[in-house]
Amino acid sequence: MYRLALKMLFADRAKYVMLISGLTFASLLMCQQSAVFCGIMLWTSGNLRNMRAPIWVVDPKVQQVNEVKPLRDTDVSRVRTVTGVDWAVPLFWSIQQSKLADGTFKAVQIVGLDNTTLIGRPAEIMAGRLEDLRLPNTVIIDDLAVERLSFGRAKPLGIGDTFEINDKEARVVGICKTEKSFFGYPYVFTTYDQALQFAPKMRKMLSFILASPANGWTATQTAREIEKETGLKAFTEEEYFWSTMWWYVRNTGIPVSFATTILLGFIVGIAICGQTFYSFVLENLRHIGALKAMGAGDWLLTRMVVLQAFTVGLIGYGIGVGLSVLFGLAVLKKGMPPFALPYQIPFYTLLLILFICAFAAVLGVRKIRKLEPAIVFRG
Amino acid sequence: MDNNHHKNGFAVHVQNVTKTFGTGEAVTHALKGVDFDAREGELLMIVGPSGCGKTTLLSVIAGTLEFDSGEVAVFGSALRELGKRQTTRFRGKNIGFIFQQFNLIPSLSCIENVSVPLLINGANRSEAEQRAAELLTEVGLDGRGDERPTNLSGGQQQRVAIARALVHNPRLVICDEPTSALDKETGSKIMELLRAVARAPGRCVIVVTHDPRIFHFADRMTEMEDGKVQRVHESYGTLSMGGEH
Repeated sequence: MYRLALKMLFADRAKYVMLISGLTFASLLMCQQSAVFCGIMLWTSGNLRNMRAPIWVVDPKVQQVNEVKPLRDTDVSRVRTVTGVDWAVPLFWSIQQSKLADGTFKAVQIVGLDNTTLIGRPAEIMAGRLEDLRLPNTVIIDDLAVERLSFGRAKPLGIGDTFEINDKEARVVGICKTEKSFFGYPYVFTTYDQALQFAPKMRKMLSFILASPANGWTATQTAREIEKETGLKAFTEEEYFWSTMWWYVRNTGIPVSFATTILLGFIVGIAICGQTFYSFVLENLRHIGALKAMGAGDWLLTRMVVLQAFTVGLIGYGIGVGLSVLFGLAVLKKGMPPFALPYQIPFYTLLLILFICAFAAVLGVRKIRKLEPAIVFRG
Repeated sequence: MDNNHHKNGFAVHVQNVTKTFGTGEAVTHALKGVDFDAREGELLMIVGPSGCGKTTLLSVIAGTLEFDSGEVAVFGSALRELGKRQTTRFRGKNIGFIFQQFNLIPSLSCIENVSVPLLINGANRSEAEQRAAELLTEVGLDGRGDERPTNLSGGQQQRVAIARALVHNPRLVICDEPTSALDKETGSKIMELLRAVARAPGRCVIVVTHDPRIFHFADRMTEMEDGKVQRVHESYGTLSMGGEH
């Protein structure tokens, strides 16, 4: 009987296509929009992955990685003296203006690495040598900077070329690869001392202190010890990541706008699927009545309807998520818009689609259970 | 209800059955104390004007409609004493249905349509389809099993419906206006087929109709009017062949 139920479903082409389209649209919207939301959220913590360190020490009022409240230079020494700290180094981070060859300006993110250790360096150097950063006025730029800062040049910005940051010359000694960050500005890596030359002078210039736990200490234990002994705020990498996520969730309209779109997908899915499936059941009511008269019980008919509803649901879900993945593959190559698809998104999308199918099936089943088989004898 | 009626050769025994639809001013008394019997081995027709209660009585006998009072027994089983689930199961095993508009599922092939009652009763697909093919051959549709019902003529579709009604070897076959959508010649062929079905041992065919062209196929005829049985014509088929109706 289940095979026959599916044949009945597939034979009604118009409704079948309508159901699949509605569920595909719903799952595409829910999955793709959630993935873009996750992508944006990942961008907000891009700095964490571009300047990796086990522990980040900041001002006690700082809540997320994209805000800076400068520390005193002496705070580095204070952190170094904390029990459980293996090493601690200063890191400068600031958004500054760079001047292009055609005279226009572009914002860049300057990262000043510890002069000695270069801790916080980019993970992947594509061209040049990291050590050359110790030469005067040198920088390593990321691939986005090559693209953005090359306007007005005959050929793209490369090793040996120069450009200006706040009227000071910067010579490129390397190209690196970075992850996109929330602000979308290119990264310019240099040494801590050189970064202080590029940036306007302020009373306090130290943005972050990067630290590592000593042998036998976990990052969490060391972070708590730093907080206890210095009064500064110390995050492990994971703590800083989630603190940043929640800050954006609480303080921006991003989650609400995405949730609205996702909700819209859900409502459209439930409306189209519910209405179409209900009318499919209504149109087949006479046949269902005949099946009832011939001895098909409510439970058998319920299982047939549930099978039909969940079949279209799973097909629509498969197509919708497949299209989301294709979208993701296309945009990840271009880098825009943000996209991240952790397994939880397809999983929860599946649950919502199954809920929509269950809702549609319940509408049909209610009608069928109330149906008197005697309907088949009425003209 | 005991099994005596069944032992006496009654396939269906209906006693003082009433059925009312609606309430208050909109109340309709469809059956007003109907008494009625159908015997094994006969083709019994229920006739009467539109709205006289024929179809309601047929639905009650088939166990597809609950009645208000009275007793209905089909081959000795009192329908009132069976629960809803048992009635459904009883119907699936013992009753075959032939409908006015055939009620074949258009998206399924003829073989699949015919195999439905067997599948409902738990048969596996291959044995159900094998038996369905045999039945289609018996009703003269050999080789048409893979076609959709919509590709067949009205008479052929009703033959498919007859095959579906008989495939699980039911003891009672209930037909609602089986010829009203067919021309005279096709209708006669269908009725001949149904009369042959009724002759099988231990089986009974009840036909509700107001098509006078087929009255002469009845072994007995029950006339209804205003929710009651007015009269029963015994040996109607024999009489009518002599031209008395």
